[in-house]
Amino acid sequence: MEIRLMNLRRNYGSLHAVDDVSLVIPSNTVYGIIGRSGAGKSTLVRLISMLEKPDSGEVYYNEKRVDNLSKEGLIEERRRIGMIFQTFNLFSSRNAEENIAYPMEICHMDKAYIHKRTEELLELVGLEGRGKAPISTLSGGQKQRVAIARALATKPSILFCDEATSALDPQTTRSILALIKEIQKKMNLTVVMITHQMEVVRDACDRVAVLDSGHIVEEGLVSDIFSSPKSDVTKEFLSSLTNVQESIVRWSKEGGHYTLRFRGNSTDEPIISSVSFSTGAVFNIRAAGVQVVNGEEMGVMMADIGPDEETARKAAAMLREKGVLVEEEKKEAR
Amino acid sequence: MMEALFDPRMLSLVADATWQTVVMVFLSTIFSMILGLPIGVLLHVTSSEEQGGIIPHPVFYNVLSRIVNILRSFPFIILMIVLMPLSRLIIGTSIGTMATVIPLSIAAAPFVARIIESALKEVDPGVVQAAKAMGSTNWQIILKVLIPEAMPSLVSGVTLTIINLIGYSAMAGAIGGGGLGDLAIRYGYQRFSPAYMVCAVVVIIVMVELIQFIGDRISARLIAKR
Ligand SMILES: Nc1ncnc2c1ncn2[C@@H]1O[C@H](COP(=O)(O)OP(=O)(O)O)[C@@H](O)[C@H]1O
Ligand SMILES: [Mg+2]
Repeated sequence: MEIRLMNLRRNYGSLHAVDDVSLVIPSNTVYGIIGRSGAGKSTLVRLISMLEKPDSGEVYYNEKRVDNLSKEGLIEERRRIGMIFQTFNLFSSRNAEENIAYPMEICHMDKAYIHKRTEELLELVGLEGRGKAPISTLSGGQKQRVAIARALATKPSILFCDEATSALDPQTTRSILALIKEIQKKMNLTVVMITHQMEVVRDACDRVAVLDSGHIVEEGLVSDIFSSPKSDVTKEFLSSLTNVQESIVRWSKEGGHYTLRFRGNSTDEPIISSVSFSTGAVFNIRAAGVQVVNGEEMGVMMADIGPDEETARKAAAMLREKGVLVEEEKKEAR
Repeated sequence: MMEALFDPRMLSLVADATWQTVVMVFLSTIFSMILGLPIGVLLHVTSSEEQGGIIPHPVFYNVLSRIVNILRSFPFIILMIVLMPLSRLIIGTSIGTMATVIPLSIAAAPFVARIIESALKEVDPGVVQAAKAMGSTNWQIILKVLIPEAMPSLVSGVTLTIINLIGYSAMAGAIGGGGLGDLAIRYGYQRFSPAYMVCAVVVIIVMVELIQFIGDRISARLIAKR
């Protein structure tokens, strides 16, 4: 199901929590929405998932407008979407399988069907035989698996995830993301993944929108955003990934300070050596790393280029020609 | 004094009075729940969104809340006297065990409403949001989410209600309501037989302890199953 947002706005008093957001979320993708805490992500996802009405603007699922539905229409449409949360939000009065059964119960589905579907879902999320477990006896990862099973019970075409992995450790996060990706393919879902972690975008999303103070500041394919980020917010998110704290990178006094981003085929070419050879530039590498973004290799390097500014500029130009994204850092590095 | 202690009628009088108290408390618990539960649920669902209300309605909430407060601040004895004509209308008499059940139920209802309201308020708003996102109707949220999720607190609340009603029913004895309070006053106070007084008080204490024990056990068992 394709989701289209047109000029969505939501204010809380004088605060513009969501401020003129327009987006197209293509069908059958994992779509990331990343932003710092307080950027308006949860508000946006509540607007898209019909939990809250926008002050102005429109939300469409395929061609159907869903932001102005009647009470009955709203309930019917909500039964066609799934949602998972950071805090799992499972019913503590119900065990695992009764949680999964809930959305089917409220649609008055047949008991025998509910039972069969619950077993199917437990298997899908890797919790066969744990149906009778009280929620408090499950680990965080298992709770989120139950929540995923519950969200998918009525075979929705959209799954909303609001910080679904933020309360989990890195290893569990990876396994939950892998599960979501697998299910997305199996069920041809449109997944809207809200997060403040760039790892989640890197490991799970096809496209991403960057949200800052209620605005979309950048949107595109994850591989494009990783190789050529435009906004400061995006760059900041990316630098959190390179695991390099700028304060421990000591820049030299001469020449310029640069962040280089390589992508795809350029990562296994000896670009630095050839640039150094033909311009006479010297590279002093401060920090570097390669990561895999959506199956594509992407390198980041922080380096001083010397011996003087003239040569550095020439080298930077040549690197750009070769498809490397070059950013000059400010002289007063923190 | 010694005579009173071995008064052969005492045993059967205490037994009768205990039975009357049990009937009064049992019936008024049921009727006060029937009256108080919907009011408590209404209070909670119409409260503000921050309080967890699913159908916020500030005007309705404030009016209902004010009425509940006024009823709660009425001294029970006065409420009883005021409601005597109502008892006469419904039961046909304004004295006796059955006639007491009506003012008792009405006196406890606002208390029950508040207890239900505060138990429902404790339910995690995230869980309610999840239920809403899955397309639950308001009735489904109330019956399948709010009440089951709040069950341990609701059981504690009912326990407290029963204990309060035991106390109220003893007071009702003072104006001809029957039961252990009536026995303590008529025999213990007016006829100077401390034995009746002591006996009535001991039975009341045992009843309260028993109810508290059972209530705690049920609540703990519900929590342990989660
Ligand atoms: N119900 C609400 N009432 C008032 N302010 C709110 C409400 N929900 C969110 N906000 C405010 O809107 C802003 C965005 O919040 P939120 O969407 O939760 O951000 P995020 O999920 O990105 O951390 C925050 O400043 C928050 O305080
Ligand atoms: Mg949030």
